[in-house]
Amino acid sequence: MEEQFDSAPDAEVSREEFTSVMTALEPDQIISTKEHHHCPRRQLTRTEMLLFWALRIYLVFMVGVVVYQIWTSVR
Amino acid sequence: MYTCANVSASGIFALRFSHCIDGMKEPKTAPEPRGLVVPRSNVLNDQRMSGDDVVITHEDIDRAHDRERVSATRARRGFRPRLRLFWLLIGPGILVMLGENDGPSMLSYAATGARFGIGFFVPFIVLTFAMACVVQEMTVRLGAATHRGHAELIFDRFGPFWGWFSMIDLMVGNFLTLVTEFIAIRAGLGFFGVRPAVAVCGALLVLSIALMTHRYWTWERIILGVAMFNLVFVPVALLTHPHWGAVGRALVTWRPLPGGLTQETVLILLADIGATVTPWMLFFQQSAIADKGLTTRDIRFGRVDTVLGAALATVAALATMLATAPLFMHHMSAANFEAAEFAQALQPFIGQWGAALFALGIFEAGMVAAVTISTSSAYAFGEVARRPHSLNLPFKQGRAFYLVLLLEAAAAAGLVLIPGIPLVYIVLLVNVIAVLAMPPALLFMYMLVNDREIMGVLVSPRWANVLALGVVTVLIGAGLLFGVSVIAPNALAFIGGR
Repeated sequence: MEEQFDSAPDAEVSREEFTSVMTALEPDQIISTKEHHHCPRRQLTRTEMLLFWALRIYLVFMVGVVVYQIWTSVR
Repeated sequence: MYTCANVSASGIFALRFSHCIDGMKEPKTAPEPRGLVVPRSNVLNDQRMSGDDVVITHEDIDRAHDRERVSATRARRGFRPRLRLFWLLIGPGILVMLGENDGPSMLSYAATGARFGIGFFVPFIVLTFAMACVVQEMTVRLGAATHRGHAELIFDRFGPFWGWFSMIDLMVGNFLTLVTEFIAIRAGLGFFGVRPAVAVCGALLVLSIALMTHRYWTWERIILGVAMFNLVFVPVALLTHPHWGAVGRALVTWRPLPGGLTQETVLILLADIGATVTPWMLFFQQSAIADKGLTTRDIRFGRVDTVLGAALATVAALATMLATAPLFMHHMSAANFEAAEFAQALQPFIGQWGAALFALGIFEAGMVAAVTISTSSAYAFGEVARRPHSLNLPFKQGRAFYLVLLLEAAAAAGLVLIPGIPLVYIVLLVNVIAVLAMPPALLFMYMLVNDREIMGVLVSPRWANVLALGVVTVLIGAGLLFGVSVIAPNALAFIGGR
């Protein structure tokens, strides 16, 4: 089980530390819980899909603008 | 309820825990109630019902110790415990705001004061920090409600493409910014005669020493202490004996942009916006809040932390602008000034000590930002690549996290040692790129903070959405204006009426 975790468990976890962690942290703050449970993928609506495509176009345009600016400056 | 001493194949001792979080008895030393002030119901918090085993890590233990101190303090009544609670919970907000008052930002403010005076820009800078507050408040809520970083949420909710895109976008922007931070460090210390290689290597050493604590809390306090030196620009501004009546009038009346809307004024406007609201801030504050272990009970303090940070940063930014305003008054050209040259040019007005303080301020700005920006990259990398990502991790467990952080900083530092880099142009360009990258980051932020599935009842209220949309509109508008200024400079003259 331990090998599944990216964050290695502490080498010497005392009972006090265990109690401390379980009481002081919220359940989804514990690393092993976070590593096992990820947020489910969100289902995008049509409007959101459209927005994301607009975002892609905006980025391509703006990257072009910045590259052009650098190119003209270098020349 | 739990079984101890499960020895894994690697011989590591761990505690295994099943089906017990809800059933566990409240120990005497646990002052913080499990129930939250704001009832939470989201997909993340509901995971405790799944009954999977829990392995306790070093990171969990450190974070739990921090949370116990918070809980114990919260349980006490009175002014002093309240003050202590405030001390325990502040950090990410102040760090992110003072961190954003970085080398290029301070240089942008200095260039603004020297070229355009204060008439238009005093209220403009106050407005940009207000925009930063609106945006960063969303990260406080997201971080406290989900206990996850921004990159991780984008990856999980919108898929690997946007997750990797956001991370790479952030890392490229951060790398360019880090280059300018080390230029600021080199220029700031250059005023004192420190050789560039010594200045840059010294800064890398400081960055590494702060990491050696392997403790988020200690790291945060060290960097907060250094970040307070950002206010060194206040005495510098006072040395120039500013006309406070004129400053007050500028703040209230908001005079027109000097020289109208030209390519130069648009660039400086964008640079000042980029000096206040940038993508790394979103990623850093949310990850830092998750790393610090803040919960929904702490959101109020998180907000105060952010507003306090913005107030301190505004004071430092305005002070920098006021400090260089004498150059504008005496019609001195500051078009190609670098950090040390600003200090030298100011020497006749503020003396040797004032100039030294200015140079020291530029060094500090670069130093703090180098630390926070490289940390935000490392957080984002860890979140997307699913590697451990916390300043609480020992080096062995957080190897990837620390290596990304140190390698990015070292590569940027190495580039700075190449002679002949046009500082002012790079500084402006970096801030402009930050403005361009901001809309996507903000869009994800806006969608996440309105995502009831992960935010529960903490989704943005209508007023917050109106404000956030206003900020997004301003930033996209600024980006498009920049595009126009590059492609058709004459169109700007038309827009500006000149």
